[in-house]
Amino acid sequence: MTMRGASGSAKGLRRGRGATGDLFAAPAASPAGRAAKPRPAPAAPDPAAVPPARPALRQLWLALTFTTLPLLAATRGRGSTTGAPLVVVAGEGARRTVDAVNAAAARAGIRPGFGLNAAHALAPRLEVVEREPFEEARELRRLARWATSLTPWVSLEAPDQLLLEVQGSLRLFGGAPALLGRVGAELEAQGHAVALALAPTSRAATWLARAAPGTLIDSPATLAGHLARLPLGATAWPARTLEDCARLGLETLGELKRLPRDGLARRFEPFVLAELDEAFGLKPAPRRRYLVPERFHERAELPAELADVAELTPYCERLLERMGHFLRARTAGITRLTFLFAHRDQKPSCVVLGRAVPAAGVADWQGLLRERLMRVTLPAPVQTLTLRTGAAVPLPGTSAALPGFGSREAVAEAAALLDRLRARLGETAVSGVCLVPEHRPEAAWRAVRPEPVPLPGRTHTGIAALPRAPRPLWLLLAPEPLVVRDGQPCRDGRLMLESGPERIESGWWDGGDVARDYYIAVTRSGARLWIFRERGARRWFLHGVFG
Amino acid sequence: MNASLDALLQSAAIWRARGAFPDPAGLAARGIVRSGWPRLDACLPGGGWPLGTLVELLLPRAGIGELRLLLPALSRLVESPAPGRERRWLAWIAPPHAPYPPALAQGGIPPERLLLVATDKMPERLWAAEQTLRSGSCAAVLAWLDAVDDRWLRRLKLAAESGDALAVLFRSLGRRAEASPATLRLALEATPAGLDLWVLKSRGRGPARVRDALTA
Repeated sequence: MTMRGASGSAKGLRRGRGATGDLFAAPAASPAGRAAKPRPAPAAPDPAAVPPARPALRQLWLALTFTTLPLLAATRGRGSTTGAPLVVVAGEGARRTVDAVNAAAARAGIRPGFGLNAAHALAPRLEVVEREPFEEARELRRLARWATSLTPWVSLEAPDQLLLEVQGSLRLFGGAPALLGRVGAELEAQGHAVALALAPTSRAATWLARAAPGTLIDSPATLAGHLARLPLGATAWPARTLEDCARLGLETLGELKRLPRDGLARRFEPFVLAELDEAFGLKPAPRRRYLVPERFHERAELPAELADVAELTPYCERLLERMGHFLRARTAGITRLTFLFAHRDQKPSCVVLGRAVPAAGVADWQGLLRERLMRVTLPAPVQTLTLRTGAAVPLPGTSAALPGFGSREAVAEAAALLDRLRARLGETAVSGVCLVPEHRPEAAWRAVRPEPVPLPGRTHTGIAALPRAPRPLWLLLAPEPLVVRDGQPCRDGRLMLESGPERIESGWWDGGDVARDYYIAVTRSGARLWIFRERGARRWFLHGVFG
Repeated sequence: MNASLDALLQSAAIWRARGAFPDPAGLAARGIVRSGWPRLDACLPGGGWPLGTLVELLLPRAGIGELRLLLPALSRLVESPAPGRERRWLAWIAPPHAPYPPALAQGGIPPERLLLVATDKMPERLWAAEQTLRSGSCAAVLAWLDAVDDRWLRRLKLAAESGDALAVLFRSLGRRAEASPATLRLALEATPAGLDLWVLKSRGRGPARVRDALTA
């Protein structure tokens, strides 16, 4: 809030500039004169002690000011805002001031900084919305996540700026003009208007982006000249500090910079000198780096409640695209993601997509999403849409394949097949198997999640522990009772016992105890069956078929 | 000399004109895999199950020995794969019962190669069969699809021809009279002595009967 006050008075300053232009020299002398008084020796910073200008590593900072952020945040989910004049206001009661205007309001002559009454006077049918600081902060964080696709060094400058260290990225994107073009295009696609500036120090970049957008300075040599022309309002210092400067007749950074340092140190709060040094590159300006969260979790606002899956698909894909930015910044992939559809007066429904190997590409997921959405029936119209991912995992490296494990392409192909099958048939419909060292026939194997690459310890499980006696190729899920005639088990007539018995007695410890004598029997028509007699009850059961 | 001549004659590209004419389309088959049953191999063109095309087995009912018939071929596919194609699956699409992994392991098929797809809806079975055939990551696809129309059979055949998997359809004996695009069609008949096979359709050969196929 203080920032907005500051920029308000900054405008006041700039408007006054023409009138006081010729008085530059005179008032500037006065503070200098006052500063020449005997100085308190120990406290004042000694100009000679300031470290020399160049930081060891050359940096280039790109500052982005999102000029329409308050407007976008406050009107999010309202559909079009272009028609009627609309203003975003903040403040209490009579002091409510306009913070942002849409195009129609700007045409009516309303400017940010106006009182609400003045705005109403200019546009009688004015639409007024409250500013949404939380929504703005969230959107800024989202933009920071987007920016991590351009450089790993992104810093949030609340309320409406991002700082990107781009020296390292210039070569990748083909130079500053190409990078800026890309930034502009991608932000425009997301509906943001941006004012940007490029400078060798982070502080200078933020100031330039605020007061002289479009300034591109790539060498420290020309920095001082550009900065000296900036109005003090660019600094977004508290209103009181700016008023103090104005009272001294100071208008530009250059005038402030020309004052003796010890006087500045005494007269103003410490941050003034510190920030000035940072801007001119006399002092390093540490920035807190924005760290991208582990999981992607974002909501998409829908223009209206949507009942049709086809209408919903573009919004799902837009979220996927943002997830793609997120994953690219982390060089990571995910194996699982969830779309949550919120309904009115009803529990949200969800669509879960999974892949066998981590995938980051939007295209990888889009195919699965389309496959799945085709078969989704929505229980009710959807109000909002949320995309949540599982934890991001590093993408598998590109090392050569191990012999016996198949080539990388083969593994990718196998994984893609698994994904397609699972997406359409469901997770449980597709399974692999593994052996379990266990005497009970029905417990001697287990369904497992199939893996395109065998996991250590899963291969050749229990080959050595295989039963010696023959086992049927088909095992019935539940043993089928056999009819007994004259004490002989029957199925298609009397069964001939071919071999047996094989006694299996096990499982007393887990309640599933069995005591069975297994025989191989042949039917009249020649089918070979695996049957058993329960030792206690002496009943006969069919358990398997030798396919 | 004789050994290398034998090896040459095993190649799928070589057709021996013994009592039949070479089929130019036979080159479409991506080779064969020995069935492991000498009596059957003797009756199959090329001397084994054809790969990369559709094989149809017609059964009076499940469990009369159809898996035992295929087991040696499946284990051969797993044991001696083509280079770079080591880790491929044996896909089972909608089998009537659960195939029993310990028994398969006894037959030489490592259980981690099994991929079971369970679905009871026919369109999804067909789709799954087509996907597994097309993917190239399955060494064999065994699909239990009884009521399939001709259009889908052709589609499956095309899918099979896009890869080199052993593609076997299990259908009921009642489909015997229906036309089928399958390259090889066998009817199975359980007998007290074992399993009799009727070769209903095969490339370059007439119908034949194999008695007691599952004996050495």
